[in-house]
This record gives sequence, structure tokens and C-alpha cells, in this order.
Amino acid sequence: MTDLIWIVPLLPFIGFLINGIGRNILGKPLIGIIGSGVVFVSFLLSCCLFSHVYDARQAGGDGAFTVPIFEWISAGKLSVGLSFMLDPLSSIMLLIVTGIGFLIHVYSIGYMSHDPGFGKFFSYLNLFIFFMLLLVLGSNYIVMFIGWEGVGLCSYLLIGFWYKNEAYAGAAKKAFVMNRIGDLGFLIAVFLIFTTFGSFEFSSIFPQAAGRVSGDGTLLLITLLLFVAATGKSAQIPLFTWLPDAMAGPTPVSALIHAATMVTAGIYMIARSNILFTLAPVTLQIVAGIGIATALLAAAIALTQNDIKKVLAYSTVSQLGYMFLGLGVGAFTGAFFHVLTHAFFKALLFLGAGSVIHAMSDEQDMRSMGGLKKKLPITYITMLIGTIAISGIPPLSGFFSKDEILAHAFVQNKVLWVLGFIGALFTAFYMFRMLFLTFFGEFRGSKEQAHHLHESPGSMTFPLIVLAILAAFGGLLNIPAALGGGEWLAHYLEPVFAASTAKTGEFHLEHGTEYALMAASGIAAIIMAIWAYGTYVSKKTVPVADGAERSLLSRLSYHKFYIDEIYDALIVRPLNKLSVFLYKVIDRAGIDGLVNGLGRTAEESGKGIRLLQSGNVGFYIFMMVVGVIALLVYGLIKI
Amino acid sequence: MSAIITLSLLAVLLLYLGLFKAKKALLPVSLLGLLAAIVLYSIQWDTDAEPLYSGMVLFDHFAVAFSILSLFITGLVFLLSRDYFDSISEHVAEYYALIIFSLTGALLVVSFHNLAMLFIGIEIMSVALYILVGIRKRDFSSNEAALKYFLMGAFSTGFLLFGITLIYGATGSFDLTEIKNYLIANPHSISPLFYSGILLLIIGLSFKVGAAPFHFWTPDVYEGAPILITTFMSTVVKTAAFAGFLRLFLTCFVPLQDFWAPVLLVITVLTLFIGNISALAQQSFKRMLAYSSISHAGYMLFGILSIGAASAGAIFVYSAAYSIASVVAFAVLILVKRSRGSEHFEAFNGLAAKNPYLAFTLSVAMLSLAGIPLTAGFVGKFMMFSGVLANYHIVLLLLAVLNAAMGIYYYFRVIVAMYFRPADREEVTVNANYKAVLFIGALLTIAIGIFPSLLAGWL
Repeated sequence: MTDLIWIVPLLPFIGFLINGIGRNILGKPLIGIIGSGVVFVSFLLSCCLFSHVYDARQAGGDGAFTVPIFEWISAGKLSVGLSFMLDPLSSIMLLIVTGIGFLIHVYSIGYMSHDPGFGKFFSYLNLFIFFMLLLVLGSNYIVMFIGWEGVGLCSYLLIGFWYKNEAYAGAAKKAFVMNRIGDLGFLIAVFLIFTTFGSFEFSSIFPQAAGRVSGDGTLLLITLLLFVAATGKSAQIPLFTWLPDAMAGPTPVSALIHAATMVTAGIYMIARSNILFTLAPVTLQIVAGIGIATALLAAAIALTQNDIKKVLAYSTVSQLGYMFLGLGVGAFTGAFFHVLTHAFFKALLFLGAGSVIHAMSDEQDMRSMGGLKKKLPITYITMLIGTIAISGIPPLSGFFSKDEILAHAFVQNKVLWVLGFIGALFTAFYMFRMLFLTFFGEFRGSKEQAHHLHESPGSMTFPLIVLAILAAFGGLLNIPAALGGGEWLAHYLEPVFAASTAKTGEFHLEHGTEYALMAASGIAAIIMAIWAYGTYVSKKTVPVADGAERSLLSRLSYHKFYIDEIYDALIVRPLNKLSVFLYKVIDRAGIDGLVNGLGRTAEESGKGIRLLQSGNVGFYIFMMVVGVIALLVYGLIKI
Repeated sequence: MSAIITLSLLAVLLLYLGLFKAKKALLPVSLLGLLAAIVLYSIQWDTDAEPLYSGMVLFDHFAVAFSILSLFITGLVFLLSRDYFDSISEHVAEYYALIIFSLTGALLVVSFHNLAMLFIGIEIMSVALYILVGIRKRDFSSNEAALKYFLMGAFSTGFLLFGITLIYGATGSFDLTEIKNYLIANPHSISPLFYSGILLLIIGLSFKVGAAPFHFWTPDVYEGAPILITTFMSTVVKTAAFAGFLRLFLTCFVPLQDFWAPVLLVITVLTLFIGNISALAQQSFKRMLAYSSISHAGYMLFGILSIGAASAGAIFVYSAAYSIASVVAFAVLILVKRSRGSEHFEAFNGLAAKNPYLAFTLSVAMLSLAGIPLTAGFVGKFMMFSGVLANYHIVLLLLAVLNAAMGIYYYFRVIVAMYFRPADREEVTVNANYKAVLFIGALLTIAIGIFPSLLAGWL
């Protein structure tokens, strides 16, 4: 069974090739069927693989299988193989990537149906799934890195999908550059790992690392570099500003890449390397700190955004922050659980937003929406479920995963819990604000938009319904013991985090305290929802126009704390100045001058030497004789 | 040996075919003959080689590998000859026969085990070439090239023969094993005749491979000769001459390396610089290829300079890569000249738009000649340079890299012309033989570039 694992990533790759080559020849229905079909078959295979791992876990094994495909590079001590690792962690990621990937492919058939780049879109999407599967399945850091780079490339291509719009192309470039900064960290970390452990394979590195003492200097450096990589890919402070801009891409892309899968790669990578991080407590503290800071900052920005996709984008950044908080406080299962539930409800919310945008003829500003719930009932109901889930209102999925992270934070550091709690309040408020502004009240758009309003086609509502069911019931996967649950996910993932658990000891929290924490966050979220209802439905408040006067806090939030401007002033502009200087002085005058000078010298001497070739045989023979005499003289001296 | 006999008979047969006006049969018969020879050589590959005919020839792996390479390249040249010879001369059969004779000489040069055979081989090869260069009887430049080649060839043959005589005077034998034994037996009392003999042999062989300052014939002869003959000379003949050069030095003169290496070093550096710098200033593609062949002779001299176990393999791969790329380049030149009447770089302007296939294969050939990775030329250069590095000739290596950079400039000129210079032009018609040769050439160039072990494992 596991021997066939290579088919899972291969299928989307074949889809990429077919759709890429045939993008102008094949018809749209065929492209859609191929694009979705290959991912669906991958999904079915992933289900088989999952059940295989599941059976192994039930039987008491650790459920980990390494499947070498071929030896790729072999030079001296260096050996890199293309090999895959199937274990509880990657088996669930497989399901997320192919399952949600399939739904979003189906959704795209409807959403992109009028786009001339239909074939190109599906080929990129298939390519993305291929690279994401490489990232998830790689049994060593090199294969993971290839996937890591590949998804970055696809993200770039898809953000800039409508590249004729200069702002969109700029957003793509920004995402790429920011990701490259992180990738550099990854690359150096991989070099360091190789020099330290002499291998790239997880199965060789982690046991060696487990033998080291906590606080080891090399591990600290490696984990810090890996975390730098994670901040790039998963949009954390200081590299998070690309993600909101990435909303320039088509909405299915935002749902798939910039919400459900790619941006969680950083969390996946750290969860995968958990033992390294557990032995570097300083890094873990930094991870937790950056995570909670990002969660709060992004949530604060989301409070005042008016673009429906921007709200969701900042919400994604914020939720990713929670996941890092979870990793930082050692709640590896909790963080991964949140990856899972977030994939459900955030993909749902983005697709729902896409459905709204589709109905509104590409309008994204919520100030022009309102009262859509009658016209788009399915979209409304599913988005309502998504909103309740993300806000952490029981019993929907987000409540359980967020609660697990916050419970761990509570045990580790009360301050982190308080901050996380405040972030959760923000979340509930801005999500309900978005929901109410969009679906309640009077319609505020133009006449043509009103006339054009319609529920989306079945290919778009079907994924919404499936995801809504998942978002509603996903929490059942890991119901805490306090609520009489079996903590199925935690048990399933146990072997992955076993080494770390052995170092840190079992997590323990009084059931009474846990009830109190749950009640507090649940009730608080409901209160925030009611507050939002009061403001945006009862009082019918509509966010003010762009140029209007704002209070200081509102202004800071609305202008995203001026972070883009600060980066521009501190980094971009000085760099530009430096590069202009290097270009004009060092490159043009110095290097070019030198190279051109050498070239000109060679060419001039060529013109000179060419004259030797006079065409006169007498002269040729004369020159030869000179050569002969020189040789003979040499012989005379040498003998 | 049976292959050489087959080829000699083949040439005679071709002359008869010409006599009976069976022009159509010439090409297939020649190709079949070459194929038969390749098969005969391949059969010999695994047998233990002993010197044959009183030690005259030795068909070891070295000889067989270079022979097969020469036969293969000659086959490619023949494929290009369809329509070509008819257009420049009515004596087509003579063309085929003379090329086969010259090839027979080349095969002797790569498998000699006796200095007399080296001399005879070189002369068989050269005499046929003197005629081939001048075969366009009414063409002034062809006549001039033939005369120049003959005069200077005769001049240098004198040195070669004189060198052989001096070696004989010192050792009393023409046999390579005897000469080697002489050096081993008298490590400290080697006759001055022997030293002088080596110097004269270097002069004679440098002329044949076109190394400076004995290279002056190359540009003029390459330019005056019919393009296909130039192709043959710059590939098969040059490869054979290098193989002979290496075989002589590798078998006999390794112990005296300290004596001859400095001489060869100077010749190498001169050759590299003169070849490359002159090529920079050329306006004619054909003349540029002539100078580039001089510079490639410089690179191949590295193999002799850093003589050792790896030399044979390095020269083999290098000459294979160089020959294949040259055949492709000359083939495209023939086609372009036929449609535009010019050999200048401008004649290639805009070729990529009308003949993407031609432009692509020529680009692959140029990249290979320039030594860009993933082409055979890179593998060849890599093997040469690593040999030099192993011998610690760091300065030489630096000079070589500098020259390789110059090479890129003039090889890329034609690529730039084909892809970036617009021009009104007609599509060049390409017949099936040319298409096949271009395809084989480009494919092999890339295949060897990606899997060097295809060739590097032979020697």
C-alpha cells in the first residue's frame, strides 16, 4: 500500500502537465474535470493511506512508514534521496491538502468560468497541490525544502494571476521577496543541520537531537533559523505584510493557499521538528511571543478593514499567530488541531466571500453590501457557521482548538492567556461585524449590482456546504477529557510528539479551571457577537468613508499601524538608494568599465594579430622557422 | 586490420562506381562500408590487443575508440555530402574515394605502433587532403589553399621525418616498445640525438594539429577549401592527429616530460591566445570556426601537457564533443551559404524566426563549443581542466579560463544574430539528411553533456 505513495503527488503533477500544455486546446469543462479529477483521485488514495496509518496506530504501532523512491544526489558523505514519510501527522495533512484542495478545485470551475486564463489557472493550482504534497510527504529537509520553494513559486504565480494589473503584480512580488527572506533562514538551517547531524533525514536527525541537552547552542541557532523561515511562509511578525496583499489573487487561491494549506506550512514544519524546538526553550518563548503579538496586531487591524477579503486575510494572520502561540507553549497537538479546524472554517469563509464577490460583480467593499442573506441563502448560512466556528463559540470546531491552545498558554504563562483572550474577543467582534455588514440591513450597492444579485452555481455552493459541515463538526476530533471526550487526535498523533512529551512531561490542568476558561471564552465571544449585532444591525452603523476623520486608535488600525510605510522608509528606500549607488558607481563605472575595457583590448589585439595572417606563404614559413629555431635553441640550452 | 583493408577496397570500388556512372550508389555504398568498418572494429573491442605485423600496428582500446569516432564523424560528413559534391564538381566518385583514403590514413595514425607507420599514415591522410582542398579546379581560392597547404605540409613533413630519423639514430629502432625500453635502460645517458628528435617531432605534429606558431596554414586552407572538406579536416583529421600525437608521447616520452613539457606549454599558451584573439575580430563565420579550431587545438594540447592515465579519455571526449559540434556548425553554414551566398555573421540574422530547428541545433553546437554545462563541450573542457589542475598548472588553468570566456563572446555572436537581429529572409530548405545529422549532433551533444559516462567510460 505505502509503496504506491508516489502516485499521490504524481497525479496533480500530471494534471499540471496536461492542463499546462493543453490550456489553449482543451475545453473548459475538460480542463475542470482533469484538474479536479486528479486531485480527487489523490484524495481517495490519501484516504487509503490514512486508513493504513490508522490501522497501524490501532494495532499499537507508531504508524510511521518511510518510502524511499530513488537516490537523488550522492557525493561523498552527502546523500539526498527522494523519499516520502507517511506518519500520523503527514497522513492528516494529506487529507487536508487533497480534500480541501479538491473542493476548491470544484469551486473554481464555477468561480473562474468567465476567465480567459482558465486552463492556466488549473495548471497552477495542480502544480501547487503537487508541491504542497512534496512538502508534506518529504522524509527529509531537502524534499521538504523543494516543496517549500515550489509552493512559494505557485503562490507567486497565482497572486499575480491577473498580472496586467500592476498593483497585483506588485503584491505577487512582495509575497515572493518576503518569502525569500524566510527561505534563506530555512536554507541556512538545513546546512547547519547537515553539519551538525550529518544527514537530512528526519529519522536520523531527531533521535540524535533527542540525545542533546536542553538549551544546546546549535539547536537554538537551527530552531531560530527555522522559525525565521516559518515567519515568512506563515506570515508572522515581521514578515506578515505580504499576506493581506496576496488577496490580489483569485479568491479560490486565497482560500486554498493563503488560508487552508500553504500558510500553515510553517506550523507543519515546526510540528515536524518538534523535538528540536522542545530542546531550545528560548526559541519556544520567542515563538510564543511572536505568535501572540501577531495574533493581537492582526486582529486589531481587522477591526476596521472594509474589504471583505482583507478582513479575512488579517483574520488568517491572527489565527496563524494563535497556532504559533500553541507551538510556543508546547501545545503541538493543539496547534495542529487548530491548523485542521482553521483549514475548514477559513477555506469556507473565503469561498463564501468569493461567492459574495461573485454575486456582487467583483465588489469587495462591505460598505456597498448589506442585506444579502435573502439573495444568497446558502452562502449566508454556511458563512454564519464559519463565523461562529472561528469566533470560538461552542460547540463548533474553532472553540475546541482555540481553547486547547489557550489552556496550554494558561498553564505556561497567565499573561499569554490574557492576551490570547483579548485577541479572541477581537476575533469574535470583527467576524460578526463582517457577517452583519454583508448579510444584514439594507442593500447599499448600485442598482446594477442589485439587479445582478444571485446565488452562486452548484459547483460553488457544494464545497461551501461540505466545508460548513466540517467546520461545524471538526471539533469532535479532539474533544478534551474535561468534556468527557476521547481526545482522539491527540492519541493519534502521540508518536509524532512522543520525544517532546517525554522531555516536557504530560500536560496537566484541573478540570475545574478548564471549565472556567472554556466558559469565559465562550461567553465572551457571544457577548462580542451581540455587541457587533447592536452596532451594525440595530444601530445600522456603516463604516465611515476612507477620507473621514478617525480617532487615533481607529486610524492606527485602519492604516494597519503604518507597518508597510515603516518598512518602506526603513528598508525599501535605503535599499533602493544603495542599489542605485551600486548600479551607477560600482557596476556601470567599475565592473562594466573593467569588463568592456578588457574586451576592447582583446578585440584591438585581435585586429593586430589578424594582420599576421597576411596570406603570404613566404612569411608563414619564415614564422615557422622562427619557431623551429626557438625550439632548437631551447634544446641546445637544456641538453 | 580487416577494417582498414575493407576501407581501402571500398575506395577502389567507389572509383569503379564513378567510372560506370553509378552516382546514385556512391553514398549508400560509402555509408555501408563505414558501417562495416565500425562493426569490424567493435568486434575487436574485447580481445587482448597484441602488436600485429612485426609490431607495425596495435589495435588496443585507444586505437579502436578513436577509429570508431573517426568513422562515425566521417559518416556524418558523408550524410551531408548529398547534393553538395554535385554542385561543385563533376568528379563525385573521386571525392568519396579520396575521403576514404584520407580516413584510412587517419585510422593508421591512431593505431600505429611503429614510427614508420605513423609517417605513412600521416602521409596517406595528407596527400589525399592536398587534392581534396584543391578539387574545385577552376576556383582560384581553392587552388591557392591547396598549394599553400601542400607547400607548408611538405615543409613540416620534413621535420617529422627528420625527427623520426634522429630517434632511430639514438635507439636503433622505429618500434615504440623498443624506444620506450631504450629510455628505461639508459635513464642518465640519453643521446642528444634523441632530445633533438623529440623537438622535431613536436614541430611536425604541431603543424598537423594546427598549433601556434605552426598554425598559419589553418585559416587560409580552411577558408579556401570546400566547406565539407574543411569539416572533414577540422574534425576527423584533427582528431586523428591528436590521437597520434598523444599515442607517441604517452607510450614513449613520459619519462622525459621535464624536457618537453615547457616547450609544449609555450606552444599551448600561444595557440590559445592566437586562436581566440584572432577569432574575436572575424566577420566571417567560417573563418571564425577556423580560428576556433586553432583554439580548440590549444585546449586539446592540455591533454598531452598533463600526460597520464586520464589523458586518453580526456582527449577522446573532447575531440568527440568538438567534432560533433563542428559538423553541426558547418552543416548549418553550408545551408545558410547556399541560400544567402555569404559566410558572414550577418547571413545568420533572423534565422531563428524562419528556421527555428536550424537555429536551435546551431545554438546547441555553439554552446557546446563554448563549453556551457549540459553540453558535451562542457564535459570535455571539464576533463581537460581537471587534468591540468591535477598537475598543478594553476596559471595555465587561469589563462585557459580567460580564453574560454573569450570563446563565449564569438560563439554567442551567431546566436545573437540568429535570435535577436531582424532580417528579411526566406526560409532555408533543409533536406532529410541534413535534418538527421543536425538532430543526431544536437542529441548527442546534450546526451553526452547530461550523461558523460556514455563516452568517458570508453577509455
